[in-house]
Amino acid sequence: MKKKTILSQKNKAKDLSLKKKTQNNLAETVRLQTDELKIREGQLRQGADREKLGADREKLAEEQIHIRTKAMESTADGIFIIDAKKSDFPIIYANSSFFSLTGYSRSEVIGKSYFLLYGFNANLRIVEEIKQTLRLGKSFHGEMLRFKKNGEKYWCLLRIAPVRNVKGVITHYVGIKTDTTLMKQRDAEIQEQREELLHVTRVGKLAEFVSSLAHEISQPLTAILSYAQAGQRLLKDREPQLKEILQYIINDDQRAAEVIRRLRSLLKKNKPTFETLDINALTNDTATLIMPHITAKNKVIKLELGENLPMIQGDRIQLQQVLLNLISNSLEAMEDEKDSSDLLIRTSLKNADTIMVEVKDSGCGIPEENKPKLFSHFFTSKPDGLGMGLSISRSIVEAHGGHLEAENNPDRGATFYFTIPVHGNINQ
Amino acid sequence: MSVPIYIVDDDESVCRALKTLLMTYDFEVTTFNSAQNFFDTVAHDDPGCLLLDIHMPGLDGWEVQKRILASGSNRAVIFISAEKKDDATNRALQAGAVGFLQKPVNGQTLVDLINGVKN
Repeated sequence: MKKKTILSQKNKAKDLSLKKKTQNNLAETVRLQTDELKIREGQLRQGADREKLGADREKLAEEQIHIRTKAMESTADGIFIIDAKKSDFPIIYANSSFFSLTGYSRSEVIGKSYFLLYGFNANLRIVEEIKQTLRLGKSFHGEMLRFKKNGEKYWCLLRIAPVRNVKGVITHYVGIKTDTTLMKQRDAEIQEQREELLHVTRVGKLAEFVSSLAHEISQPLTAILSYAQAGQRLLKDREPQLKEILQYIINDDQRAAEVIRRLRSLLKKNKPTFETLDINALTNDTATLIMPHITAKNKVIKLELGENLPMIQGDRIQLQQVLLNLISNSLEAMEDEKDSSDLLIRTSLKNADTIMVEVKDSGCGIPEENKPKLFSHFFTSKPDGLGMGLSISRSIVEAHGGHLEAENNPDRGATFYFTIPVHGNINQ
Repeated sequence: MSVPIYIVDDDESVCRALKTLLMTYDFEVTTFNSAQNFFDTVAHDDPGCLLLDIHMPGLDGWEVQKRILASGSNRAVIFISAEKKDDATNRALQAGAVGFLQKPVNGQTLVDLINGVKN
């Protein structure tokens, strides 16, 4: 052991230098290795990151696909995808609304030609048109009558667009179909109501026109008849020829009066048919009817409908006529006012027995000199007006036991308002 | 002695013609082209029969009739209007009028109605 010690001591210096050298080498090696480790570790870490990133991306993509699929399955529109590489337009995907819309089951749809679903009743011209459009790589957009599997008809709004890959080659077509039957029905109902209202308005205007005309003409006829009869009486037994002439005047006067009477009875105004009405529903319906007109004029209609309003008794068509007349007057008053677009219709309870309907515009207002004549027959401030609208409206409102009035707003425009007694409170 | 006649009609020509006609029957006639003029001039207990138009600016015929009744006057009122006969006759009689005549009015018919009032 000792010897060894001596030896070791002996070699101590050498050892030391060696050791030092080795130590240095070792440090160098460790340093190098550490560096290498660091690089390796870095590389490893990067690799792990990359792997993690890949996994994240995959997860995200999966989530997106999940959301998109869910979305496609949730919509009420029928969505389908056609394989464009095959000539017979096979469907490779369709969402559940597609099945409920067409009445075909999944097995009857997937893999089958899209155009087979059109059935025997389909309009071949449209089918050909769709095929042609798709072959040209264009989008198709159209509305058509379609048949469900059970033969039931429905209106279908169809859009089909090509889907291209990165090279621009069409690989698929994606189609969306919407059942527009209810929309069509609603449109038709609105159109029908609008026409009915227009007809009634036209007939009403004519009747009112004839009635006013009859009144105007019967005044001079009254005077002529009275003068002629007075003349006859003054002549007593003198001037038989003159008396005869006066008799002809009387006869012709009475003939003219008879013509007017007949004309008037021919255009008898329809008796109003009273029913129980909800003024808010009526206001809403009327606004719907005139909406296209309002939008076309770039105006906005606002409804402020009072809550829990009691019912009224009235003729639906006639009251709509009044509202429509007031609204179109307001629109015309706002015609030339570029910065005015707001039209407000407000329903409210004026008091326990009376409902009030206001039509407020931001138009040119009523000139002071027109105010007294506003509701008279034949008074109009419009170049092509007949001067019947407001006078008819007033007589309708009065026949309902209410009043129609107008006022200029403090800031701008005018408000026309009418009252209608609450159901059960009409003054007999 | 005939009863005084008042005519209220916004049409001046109608007033003048009816007055001319009734004067040939020896009536004493005064015309007014508005109801307000009539009320301002004739007291509600002055005797006389009123020939009343319905469609007039301001106070219309129905309002005038209401006001006459409200004043306690028992003046006889005959409506003379271009309004449709069937509708207006009933309404006029219900409102307390003596009669309703549709324009143009036959002189004799009018005079008979006035004389009927007198008796």
